[in-house]
Amino acid sequence: MRLPVVVILTLLAACGSDAPPVVATDVVVKRPMPGMQMSAGYLTLRNNSDTDIAIDRVTSPQFGKVEMHETVIEDGVSRMRALGEVSVPAGSAVEFKPGGKHLMLMRPGDDLDSVTLEFHSGESMILSVSVTAGD
Amino acid sequence: MGSRKLLVAAVAVVAIAAGTWLSFNTSAPPAEPRVATLLPAKVELPEFALLDHTGSPVDRSVFDGQWDLVFFGFTHCPDICPLTLQVLASARSQMADEGFEVLPRIVLVSVDPERDAPEKLARYVGYFGDGTFGITGELDELRKLTGALGIWFEKSALDGDDYAVDHSAAVLLIDPEGSYRAVFSTPHEAENFAHDVPIIMGLR
Repeated sequence: MRLPVVVILTLLAACGSDAPPVVATDVVVKRPMPGMQMSAGYLTLRNNSDTDIAIDRVTSPQFGKVEMHETVIEDGVSRMRALGEVSVPAGSAVEFKPGGKHLMLMRPGDDLDSVTLEFHSGESMILSVSVTAGD
Repeated sequence: MGSRKLLVAAVAVVAIAAGTWLSFNTSAPPAEPRVATLLPAKVELPEFALLDHTGSPVDRSVFDGQWDLVFFGFTHCPDICPLTLQVLASARSQMADEGFEVLPRIVLVSVDPERDAPEKLARYVGYFGDGTFGITGELDELRKLTGALGIWFEKSALDGDDYAVDHSAAVLLIDPEGSYRAVFSTPHEAENFAHDVPIIMGLR
């Protein structure tokens, strides 16, 4: 079976201090399947600061639109919900993972290069992309 | 002396009988499905007229001749639908690795026929390997099939013109006579399918 090519995003922003206040890890975006106009992205965002933060919006120059969604299974029914914002309380982490919260990346353009998380505070974090070889 | 021989013989008979009884009762118990729910009676599929992923018309006979693991979803679903199909494809390859020669087909029935034309569905199911098959078609015909199988689905608006389709997440097992035999509820795990499906197919 062919597995989706996985591209790994590495953190560019929030570097510089000894203990980065906000750290993104396990950032993966699945390359869209042939002919598909969308894909999913996953990451873990840890907030090491003492201030609550919230992701308001996610953008990417390589996708027409990015939304935060959550797959919820209730009473045997799979539902997809758009998330307006995703809060990450101080000292906690939020996981975007298969079968749960995920980024829905729509209308892909050329090679995936970066994804930007925009926070309620007005700050943003750019997650750069490196494409792994593979199939 | 004669009665002593008789006693030895009687003991031997009892021992053999006990041994036989023990060997029956210590042999492996019949394998039971771990997660699948077997239907108390076979459910026959209704008549319907849909299309397969190659664009060919299909009716209920599309389920005849092989075991089918049937999942309902849509291609415009980046998270749970590919995840489930990967679980099913992985279960299928686990069964192949275990030496089973008869493997179930994986069938994705689109609950979003508006966006899932056969050509699009073909590219999508092709991604999950040769054993995967797609069904789409007119909404009215689709509802005949889903209604009979107890599968619910409904469009759900997202931002702008986008929409998702909420749908029953169960995976159904249909036998080669086209009868609905068992249902797998979420969470779906490849190991559970690889364990239970051969039991229901009578292979284990």
